[in-house]
Amino acid sequence: MGLRRMLENWSDLRKRDYYENEPYMWGMAIDLDKCTGCGACVTACYVENNLPVVGKEKFASGYAMHWMRIEHYWTEPDDSPEIGQKEPSDHPERGAHFIPMMCQQCNHAPCEPVCPVAATYHTPDGLNAQVYNRCVGSRYCGNNCPFKVRYFNFFDFWKDLPEPLEQQLNPDLSVRSKGIMEKCTFCVQRIRAGKDHAEDEGHPHSVEDGTIVTACQQTCPTQAIVFGNLKDKSSRVHQLWADHQVKLNRHEQDKPEDVRGYRVFEELNVEPSVMYMDRVRDTEI
Amino acid sequence: MKHPKYILFATFDNFTKARDVVMELKVLDLREKIIDDIDLFSPIEHPDVEEMLGEIHQPIQRFTFFGAVTGALCSFLLVAAAAQSMFTVQPQGGKAVIPLPTDIVIAYEGTILFGVLCTLGAFLAYAGLPRRLSKHYNEKVSDDQIGIEVTTAKENIGAIKDVLNKFEPLEIREITQ
Amino acid sequence: MKDIEWSRINKDVLESLQSPRPLFWVVIAICVLVVLVGVGAEKYQYDNGLGVALMNRPHYWQLYISNFVFWIGMSHSGTLLSAILLLTKADWRKPIYRFAEAMTLFSILTAALFPIIHLGRIWDLYWVMPYPNERTIWPNFRSPLLWDAAAITTYATSSALFLYVGMIPDMAICRDNATGWRKPLYTALSLGWMGRAREWMAFRKTYVIVACFLVPLAVSVHSIVASDFAMSIVPDWHITSFPPYFVAGALYSGCAAIITLFVMLRYLFRFEAYMTEEIMEKIAKLTFAIALVWNFLNLGEYVSIWYSNDMFEKEVLIQKFIGPYAPVVWGMLICAMIAPFAMAFQKVRRSMWGMFWLSIVLQLGMWLERFQIVSPPLASNHEPWTWSVVWPGTIQLTITAASFAWFTMLFLLFCKVFPSISMYEVKEMAFHRRREGLHDEVENIHDIQEEIIKTERGLT
Repeated sequence: MGLRRMLENWSDLRKRDYYENEPYMWGMAIDLDKCTGCGACVTACYVENNLPVVGKEKFASGYAMHWMRIEHYWTEPDDSPEIGQKEPSDHPERGAHFIPMMCQQCNHAPCEPVCPVAATYHTPDGLNAQVYNRCVGSRYCGNNCPFKVRYFNFFDFWKDLPEPLEQQLNPDLSVRSKGIMEKCTFCVQRIRAGKDHAEDEGHPHSVEDGTIVTACQQTCPTQAIVFGNLKDKSSRVHQLWADHQVKLNRHEQDKPEDVRGYRVFEELNVEPSVMYMDRVRDTEI
Repeated sequence: MKHPKYILFATFDNFTKARDVVMELKVLDLREKIIDDIDLFSPIEHPDVEEMLGEIHQPIQRFTFFGAVTGALCSFLLVAAAAQSMFTVQPQGGKAVIPLPTDIVIAYEGTILFGVLCTLGAFLAYAGLPRRLSKHYNEKVSDDQIGIEVTTAKENIGAIKDVLNKFEPLEIREITQ
Repeated sequence: MKDIEWSRINKDVLESLQSPRPLFWVVIAICVLVVLVGVGAEKYQYDNGLGVALMNRPHYWQLYISNFVFWIGMSHSGTLLSAILLLTKADWRKPIYRFAEAMTLFSILTAALFPIIHLGRIWDLYWVMPYPNERTIWPNFRSPLLWDAAAITTYATSSALFLYVGMIPDMAICRDNATGWRKPLYTALSLGWMGRAREWMAFRKTYVIVACFLVPLAVSVHSIVASDFAMSIVPDWHITSFPPYFVAGALYSGCAAIITLFVMLRYLFRFEAYMTEEIMEKIAKLTFAIALVWNFLNLGEYVSIWYSNDMFEKEVLIQKFIGPYAPVVWGMLICAMIAPFAMAFQKVRRSMWGMFWLSIVLQLGMWLERFQIVSPPLASNHEPWTWSVVWPGTIQLTITAASFAWFTMLFLLFCKVFPSISMYEVKEMAFHRRREGLHDEVENIHDIQEEIIKTERGLT
């Protein structure tokens, strides 16, 4: 059965645009100009995805399990050049920059080919799936991820959950045990629910834009995060990608300087599905 | 009915003597055709004397070749089939269905593994191992003596013994099979 | 050496199985103790999760992996000594190759423990094996970890069989001399070997064929271990020259290990007559040559990273020399790069205990080298926000110590039960040298005769 299916679809399977005819490709756009670094998205993620709260000491030792994290970067002090530049920066120092960082659902994910048991793979709708039950914990994927957004269960964190806090766990997804890798799923449980809903309503291959909302997007007070189907030409996320001239399938974008869109570590050719819009900075004239 | 075979087992203390004995026995055999089999027991490998015993056909390398080719094919097919099987569950769009670099690496290891195993299998077959020790086996052979085993019919024992005795053997054992 | 009588060889080697020096038992006792402590540490880690080992994000790999590379590397010299030197007909290998092969086998067995200890869910280890199952799920052969599994299985099997086949004639010798519990053991293992001509002929052929397989195998095994790193995109792991660099490093640390064990065995089992200073000098020269190759590849790696001008890779390289892991890197450079130059002096090469301590220094250097391959690139990876420094914790260090004890224990027990010097090959060596000696004399006679003839002619 498998072999027949294989032979019939051989030429399709190895096509570069294998996912061309799939109705969905989930993507995200994050406007860093709107991000205030409040961390509401992080909290929402903890609640939605049953992330363990590891406590102060373990957090400090690097065991934090925040699938979504707010990274802080500071600009160089006034009159000193930025990284890679010779001239002093024009931008005055304005405190920290924030960048929410989570799994970029890379289309050429470096974590996928290195897993010995194929616990992580690419779904047809453009997600980088992690199969918890299959993971044996070799942690190769974690090393090979340039964003370092894969989180390993170093302990059985759920055992530390005090009663009655287990009551607030989200029943839509599992609680992970020690020894397995986990990461942001773009709230796959919500995506599933949204697709099911669309099917019930009689249009199985098109989810209306805005009906699937990730937890971080839902909570963001400044609406910095936009999530949606990149294949849907009318979706907001597609519009943003088009406006900021970020295209798929390339490791270098051909666009003018003043267009803000970019993808992190694009030059590694990992094809992230998340586009960031750079912060607009004032210059001292 | 088969005639009972007699075995003479003589031990010597050096290779020069052993070689001369073998040569003498061969000459005797050419003249009178009385020896069924000569075998040499020695503590180290010794090609000079072994050559005198005549050609022993041991095509071990053919088994090696067979094993290596089988190993290469089997491991290549295993990986290719496993990759395909995975494809039905987890399509990896845009990636090669059969990843060649991987297959070559695994096939390389498979070639060596099967090659080694077949070689060793052939070794056991051609060396006639494992087996029980012969009753007349002299433990001195594993130390520093060279043994010569002659299989023959009863009536020829005298002639062969004469040859053996000419070279001052340390010991001669006689066994009926 | 050429004067040793065959029966004395038997007697000497067989005696070593009976009465080692008392220090032997002390070493064994210490090793067993440390292994038990290590098993306890592993149990603790198994129960509580890998966090107790003090790895964290981004240090997902640490000492376990560097130990794995170290032990795999160590196994390579056994193959070098037994297979390459066999094919090149260097007969000085004969008294020492048996223990070098045993070292190969036991260091693979030690190395194979580490990926298992390292795994998050050890209890699901068998999912890595390709077996048909009802879920039609197979391991992912594109992962270099699977290549590792294939390579290690092949290497462990082949080298164990090579060791065993090479030992069959010696098992027969042991069988003929053993008493008590050893008798049935050796009888079973010798397979009824009697030294018949057809046995020897098949043996000779097989041995050479398997040696021919082992040489490319050894090279491929460490290349594959190197591709665990080279196939990733982590800066300073993703380096094309890693496979040859790893192979050279493997031979280097393995040769150093052979020197250590050489001196140890020579003392513990009183092998002074067999493991001579001439042999030591030859191994030392070999080690020195390999050390120079490794030095070249190491410097070549730095240079190629520097001139690649890749932002990430250059950063890691700079951090290696001035960053938090700088002591490790400088320690490695001093121990593995500068120390081997001591072997340029014959006095050092011929002093047993001098070489012993030098080899320990070299191994320390190579162990640090493996650590600096694994850790600093993770500490300063692509993503600056996750940069962090973590040193291996007590559990990791305990298990590392236990691995050394485990290896030493297996190795010494092997030497106690099986002859660690190949008796039949030493006999061959003695035989051929004696014969060569005779040849020399005979040739001299010819010379003298010719002289006489010439003189006679001159007279007439």
